[in-house]
Amino acid sequence: MSDTAHAPAAPGSHAVAHASHPDSFYVKIWGVLLVLLVVSVVGPELGIRVVTLFTAFGIAVVKAYLVIKNFMHLGVEKKYVAYLLLTMLALMVVMVGGVGPDVLRHQGTNWDNVAAKKAVEAGLKAGGGHGEHGADHGAPAPGAASPGEAH
Amino acid sequence: MSTAAHADHGHDHAHAHHEPGFVEKYLWSTDHKMIAMQYLFTGMAMALVGGFTVYAFRMQLAFPGMSVPGYGRVTATDYNALVTTHGSVMIFWVAMPVLIAALGNYLIPLMIGCDDMVFPRLNRLSYQLFLISAIILVASFYVPGGAFGGAWTSYPPLSAKAEYSLTGLGSSMWLFAVALEFAAFLLGGINFVTTVMNSRAPGMKMFDVPIVVWMIIIASILFMASVGPLIAGAIMLMFDQQLGTGFFDPAKGGDPVLWQHLFWFFGHPEVYVVLLPAMGIVAEIITVFSRKKLFAYKTVLYTAIGTGVLSFFVWAHHQFIAGIDPRMANVFSVTTLLISIPVAEMVFVYIGTLYGGSIRLTTPMLWALAFIAEFLLGGVTGIFLGASGADIYFHDTYFVVAHFHYTFFPIAFIGSFAAITYWFPKMFGKMMNETWGKVHFWGTIIPFNFIFIPLFLLGIRGDHRRIYDYRHFPDLMKAGMQDLRILATISLLVLLAFQVVFLVNFFVSLFRGPKAPMNPWNANTLEWQAPSPPPHGNFPQGLPNVYRGPYEYSHPDRKDDYWPQTEPASEPAKT
Repeated sequence: MSDTAHAPAAPGSHAVAHASHPDSFYVKIWGVLLVLLVVSVVGPELGIRVVTLFTAFGIAVVKAYLVIKNFMHLGVEKKYVAYLLLTMLALMVVMVGGVGPDVLRHQGTNWDNVAAKKAVEAGLKAGGGHGEHGADHGAPAPGAASPGEAH
Repeated sequence: MSTAAHADHGHDHAHAHHEPGFVEKYLWSTDHKMIAMQYLFTGMAMALVGGFTVYAFRMQLAFPGMSVPGYGRVTATDYNALVTTHGSVMIFWVAMPVLIAALGNYLIPLMIGCDDMVFPRLNRLSYQLFLISAIILVASFYVPGGAFGGAWTSYPPLSAKAEYSLTGLGSSMWLFAVALEFAAFLLGGINFVTTVMNSRAPGMKMFDVPIVVWMIIIASILFMASVGPLIAGAIMLMFDQQLGTGFFDPAKGGDPVLWQHLFWFFGHPEVYVVLLPAMGIVAEIITVFSRKKLFAYKTVLYTAIGTGVLSFFVWAHHQFIAGIDPRMANVFSVTTLLISIPVAEMVFVYIGTLYGGSIRLTTPMLWALAFIAEFLLGGVTGIFLGASGADIYFHDTYFVVAHFHYTFFPIAFIGSFAAITYWFPKMFGKMMNETWGKVHFWGTIIPFNFIFIPLFLLGIRGDHRRIYDYRHFPDLMKAGMQDLRILATISLLVLLAFQVVFLVNFFVSLFRGPKAPMNPWNANTLEWQAPSPPPHGNFPQGLPNVYRGPYEYSHPDRKDDYWPQTEPASEPAKT
């Protein structure tokens, strides 16, 4: 597959035209990356939250895209290679999404899951508030919403 | 790439006169069939290790404190190491090498009609890494402290600290062996996917690829996409063990649940990594021995892909009692119950294939049918465990052990026996003995059920897992519970004894069996158009062309009840 990237230029062929970029093309991309680097360093210095987010993380994504497309040749690969990459990124999001609630919002060194506790308490309160449990059992069970029980 | 493979073929023939020596032929070979045999025999040897460990610890459970014949007294530390090794070996060093590596290596080039894998040297490296990993694992039994005893899931903090697990060096060796083994299968998986994408025989379109090949490809992709987090986690755990870091150590602010996530993000897709090839094997066998076209080929394929995708969304159902966020438990309960749908669909499709076929109950067919029946039991009991509410009660009981074995034994053993008995004539050019094959079949299936149905019953009665000596727990010794344990252990002894029948049949047939014809089962797929056993380069008459899909059995326009993929379309008019 990577053979395409090194194939000698055949005029008129779209893929090959991309593949045979002269050195100056890569230098240009490198120049763009340098400019972006400056922006990503200067941006957060301003101290504005939104600007920091965009200039630090937003620009990092753009830089990653440029590197993958041009230096790692994704631009000249077959389309499914890009889809494979996107699938892997999607799986990463799935994994972080599933793991995050358990490992990101802990307190102290006892891996006390604050977020989960809050959710359980809120759930118990909501259940009592709608009168479902309250109606069934006459009154909410004493201590049902205490943090100790929830854990 | 395809052209390159064909060019290689010519090149190999030019050197065909050079006779390789023993080392070159058996240990340093790049031939996909030889590498498949290396994986198969290593897997079989490791199955003996896994079988021996289960023998020792089941004897301890049934007859606590006795000196186990051939082992001696099982101490508490021994017990942990034996259980851990049994689990790790059976999954990582038996099921994966036999079902994916051995069968993938053997079948893919033969079934898609090419002469070898596209990366033969990578293939050889894959086996060599695997062999080293197996040696490290076995060697860990002989280091100070003995083999790792923190279960095949290796949960920290137990696994992270030598003072907890009591097996400092053994833990690290286990971890290193597992990581090395994953590297081996990554190399193999890349090879499988690339080969099928680029080296199919002329005329073989995507829907002409046999289901077993598709299944191995999907399994390889699942493996490659899921194993990354665990390899990263393994390195972090190794740092915790050897360098004193605290990634997973709560005493240092680390999070043991993070390891569970990293492990199961791989661990659950792993179930499908081994299940799908076994499903594929069953599809090949039931079509051949019911002389019928596979019912709904595309449905099976899309269902398998759907199962693969869903398998990435279910991992936390292993952690319902680990203190995970209860909101996530709801999500994972739903996805877990959802994944039973595509798997059930595949089972229905297989039953649909059998319906109205002229069924031949050969040994491979018996194994394939048993797979469907036994796996169904495993799947149905999984539904109880997938619901987080029920799982809270069942999770630490033998119910889980029984459920797991009702899924995994059909995959790892019934699936492998089906494949070995079916492809044996092609692999070794000899026929296996049918009568002894059937004796082995019944001698395995009946005791298998007598091992695990008692474990279901024990689990329902609250029998806790991970207990070394039940005499310390009077509540778990009363009202016949020990009798059920003894029944399970004795059934295990019977099952193990019948494996001798298999081994004798295997090796006697290998050396003295009747010569196998090219296509003993009258099957359609390409491997049966190569000589038995296929020589280096696979198809001495030239690489085949493909004219149709793999499952054209009992075609109404044809006299023969099979129609090989290689036979040109004009043939039926003549017959």
